[in-house]
Amino acid sequence: MEMSDAQGCMLPCGRDVETVWARLDATDTGSADAHEDTCTYCSTTRKGLVVLRHVAGGLASEEAAPVSLGLVARIMSAVRAETRRHHMLTLPGPEPGGLRISEQAVAAVLRSAADSVDGVRARRCRIAATETVGEVEVEMSLAVAYRRFSADAVHEVRERVAAAAAARVGVTPARLDLTVEDLYDA
Amino acid sequence: MDDATLVVRARGGDSRAFEVLVRRYQGPMYRLALHMLAGRGDAEDVVQEVFLTAWRRLPQLRDDTAFLGWLYRATTNRCLNLIRARRPVAEADLDSRESADAAGAPERAAQVSEQLTALGEALKRLTPEQRACWLLREVHGRSYMEIAGATGTTQTAVRGRIARARAQLAEAMAPWR
Repeated sequence: MEMSDAQGCMLPCGRDVETVWARLDATDTGSADAHEDTCTYCSTTRKGLVVLRHVAGGLASEEAAPVSLGLVARIMSAVRAETRRHHMLTLPGPEPGGLRISEQAVAAVLRSAADSVDGVRARRCRIAATETVGEVEVEMSLAVAYRRFSADAVHEVRERVAAAAAARVGVTPARLDLTVEDLYDA
Repeated sequence: MDDATLVVRARGGDSRAFEVLVRRYQGPMYRLALHMLAGRGDAEDVVQEVFLTAWRRLPQLRDDTAFLGWLYRATTNRCLNLIRARRPVAEADLDSRESADAAGAPERAAQVSEQLTALGEALKRLTPEQRACWLLREVHGRSYMEIAGATGTTQTAVRGRIARARAQLAEAMAPWR
């Protein structure tokens, strides 16, 4: 494999292109060896490499290939459509077709319920609908103040999150997984 | 704001944080795709799909600092897959490249533009894998290890591909001074 790689770049004079490339700066500054001084294969390759090195940077430049102005908008509208499609919960209620609420809005309510417990900060909060309308599964990670943390605090979080889900959103957590993933000093 | 913070926020569903990442990296991803595929429409489609996939996969991205590497890998893969799926390649519109118009040096700018066009033509004659390796290394400055990961091969193979690409491109550029 490596042999064929090297042979693919061998010049008729017996030097390979990688050697010419590696010595580009040396030959530029006048420390070319005897072969390099006289060999036309090496010198032609050198010229090509110098131009290549000079032009390659242009491929990365904004001016040579500007991104179309609408691209960000197109990407973000696809992203937001995705958010709507995949992250809506149906709430129980008398309305035909049910009432829908974004999972993010629910997560914000549940995080603030957890935050209300002394020495607790909610971090990630993931909510998934279950088969039953009005039931959700919640995963929440917490950071806790290590000076004030007690096991009771996690029970307190559990109660307040469940209460907020029922009273402020109208859903019941069928499962509520709490993970303490970090400590903070306060 | 740093990538890692934006990634964590975006993972939590914050689309504004994600938009900052899109604005930051759409340019390099677009230019990589453009030079891989030689078609503006295809390149934009690839970039759009890469970012949409990134948004979906954020929950699985374990290392929050690895977002840019992930983007390069995804863009490279998608381009290579697209090329493999449509072989033989229909000649596309690399000529639609707009000329650089550097103020004060029109002559030089015109020459650089012509050289860029010549380089674009030479790039088309490389294999897609050589082209990917060379672009990632020489234009985007990625590490050999990362390129090996992005193209699903070994670092030795990456070095070989870049060497062959460089030799071929140098030959094409030799007539220019």
